[in-house]
Amino acid sequence: MDSIVYMLRKTVKNAIIDTIRHPLRLILYSLLIISMIYALVVSFMPGGAPDSSFDERILSGAYQALLYFISIPILLKGLSTGTSFFGMSDVNNIFTAPISDKKILVYGVGRQLASMLLLVVTFGSYGGMAMKMFDITLSNAVLLIGGIMLMLVLVQIITLLIFCISSGHPGRAGFLKILIFAMPVSALGILAVHMFSKGMTLENLYSGITQGVLDYIPITGWMHGLVFGIIKGNTMNVIVFSLLLAVLVLIGIIVFSNARLDYYEDVIGRAESYYEWRDSMRSGKVRDSDWMGDKPIDIKKSGIKKGKGASSIFFKHLREGSRRSRFMFFNISSVVLICVALITGLVIQTAVSSIPSTVTYIAAVIICVYIQFFFSAAGDWVKELSKPYIFLIPDSAVKKLIMAGATSIIKPYIDGIVAFGILGIVCGGNIIDIITAMITYGSFGSVYISANILAQRIVGMDGNRGVFITFYMSFIVLLMIPGIIGGLYAVSVLGQFTYIAATIIGIPVIIWNIFISFMIFLMCKNLLNNIE
Amino acid sequence: MLNVSHLTKKYNRFIANDNLSFIVNDGEIAVLAGPNGAGKSTAIKCIAGLLRFEGEIEINGFNNKSVEAKQILGYIPEIPAPFELLTVWEHMEFIARAYRLADGWKERAEKLIKRMELDDKRNKLGKGLSKGMQQKISICCALLIEPKTVLFDEPFVGLDPHAIKELKAMLLEMREQGISIIISTHMLDSVEEFWDKVFIMMNGKIEAERTRSYVEKNGENLEELFFSITEKKESKT
Repeated sequence: MDSIVYMLRKTVKNAIIDTIRHPLRLILYSLLIISMIYALVVSFMPGGAPDSSFDERILSGAYQALLYFISIPILLKGLSTGTSFFGMSDVNNIFTAPISDKKILVYGVGRQLASMLLLVVTFGSYGGMAMKMFDITLSNAVLLIGGIMLMLVLVQIITLLIFCISSGHPGRAGFLKILIFAMPVSALGILAVHMFSKGMTLENLYSGITQGVLDYIPITGWMHGLVFGIIKGNTMNVIVFSLLLAVLVLIGIIVFSNARLDYYEDVIGRAESYYEWRDSMRSGKVRDSDWMGDKPIDIKKSGIKKGKGASSIFFKHLREGSRRSRFMFFNISSVVLICVALITGLVIQTAVSSIPSTVTYIAAVIICVYIQFFFSAAGDWVKELSKPYIFLIPDSAVKKLIMAGATSIIKPYIDGIVAFGILGIVCGGNIIDIITAMITYGSFGSVYISANILAQRIVGMDGNRGVFITFYMSFIVLLMIPGIIGGLYAVSVLGQFTYIAATIIGIPVIIWNIFISFMIFLMCKNLLNNIE
Repeated sequence: MLNVSHLTKKYNRFIANDNLSFIVNDGEIAVLAGPNGAGKSTAIKCIAGLLRFEGEIEINGFNNKSVEAKQILGYIPEIPAPFELLTVWEHMEFIARAYRLADGWKERAEKLIKRMELDDKRNKLGKGLSKGMQQKISICCALLIEPKTVLFDEPFVGLDPHAIKELKAMLLEMREQGISIIISTHMLDSVEEFWDKVFIMMNGKIEAERTRSYVEKNGENLEELFFSITEKKESKT
């Protein structure tokens, strides 16, 4: 164990020294830490409370959703035989060292937990926000954050338990996977039954997310039941859920201490592919979704079929896309977008019944464009930059750049058509507004890609990722502003057409977004002149 | 013909390639030899047009960054980078389409994948292949375009004995066809049967240049020359 402690100590020390030796990185980290502390302090400062606070049931529902959001991915990772616990250096050096298997596993899980400290700090600022928005006391806000921290620790212990049970037993792993998925699915099922039986109103949604039965869903429900039991002074809930969680931890410890661990073989293969993926992610050259692990891929349909020169890159992306997802452009981000658009539309129309439909579309586009940011950080074209072929293909650099970005340009339009089409069917409204919302959303996709290209051009392919993200986000804002100003100016001039305000604002935004994106593609053609 | 003139590559203050100048004639196999970190791969990447550099590089009279040069340049990188979601055969099709190859590429592709023993893997995805097989795909992709100049960056690393034998045979055939070949390696024995010209690199510079005829005529030993340069320099630094 001494060797592990020594290694951890040296790793932390060297990381600090390395940061000090890179002034730009040091400045960025310092700014990040200062902004986080500032947000934390400001959010917890008294005063500035809103005139009317939000319904506390929203907090309960959001907290529950947050617990699922934190726990499910970690539990699933535990199933994939410790994929993220260990790096290649651990496999090569620690696995071969004379150290107990259990100590090594604890080290892996502990390291994983440490990497989540940032997440806790982030949630810390939300605690203050919760105080102001929901009018809760400081002690309750601290309790909410404490619950999240406890959940992170608990999930790691359960991960160990899952790992001990499933390692080397694919059948057990499959069964546990079903159990893990059953947790959020049963919560959604209970909510859906409630909504369908009582009616689709906002009030019923609030009462649905605070049903006591949800607290009996293992782990996340128990934790929610415990935290809100303390907040509401429900002693019975506090006792029941504390006991349930304590028993679970106890089982975890007993199983772990009695387990005969033989996980090295399981970990090695995964660690190798994870190492490659993480390496690519660090250099920003691959999308998260591109790491498909052992997912079987159907290659019944094969061949690129079309394209000559640069256009063959586009058709190659279509073939690759068909292998990533059966529905090609329609994937999990499309589903999230549809949900976000629908929830936004329904909440706005339920909350303010007299609100014009055009306002609903403006709000839905704004929120969906914000969500799009998280899905558009890297498209097919970014992945292409990690391989030499795009630089070697004998064709014009602009053509290559446009063709490499084509799938990323098209996808937001398809997402927009589907999401706002469904929103139009559910919420109604002017057809022109609906079509404009579709195109506006799609055009912002081009802005995101352009900002990414611009940031790649400035920072370089091998530049620091922190600097890259800073430039990328700044460019997004700078590129969006003129279009939005144009849209607001148009609506102020054409005041008599406010019933189609979404269209009036949307048209200048679309024109600007497409124009500036095309100009950036033209200006950044040299991006493909070299791999640096 | 490959003509490198005053090639300098800097990373901030670090000079990776320092004023390199050399020519590789048609039908000539040149070797860039040197220890790790000598600047061989950087030079190869500059010639392939992947890095920014100072100086001039011409491939058959065309600037190496021009479309004309790219059309006749084959590059086999040190680390293979196949497309994870394309099959072996689709790699061939993609290259044929991207380079606008004329009819007849399919026959060439068939021959190449057969020689590299990939014919039973033609429907395997890039991500499911071993490092050695990925290297073989890189070789097939580079040679499919019928290049006039080929750059090999440590080509024998990761290949099985059959593939090494086959690649050596291919190199000799390409030399017969008048193709200019440059191979970067730190393993001199892997190229000793067929090299025509060697550039020994150290700290980003070409410290010695020899032709096979010169070495044979003067009874020089290439390995001894290599170590006399690299070890002397290392002990100085």
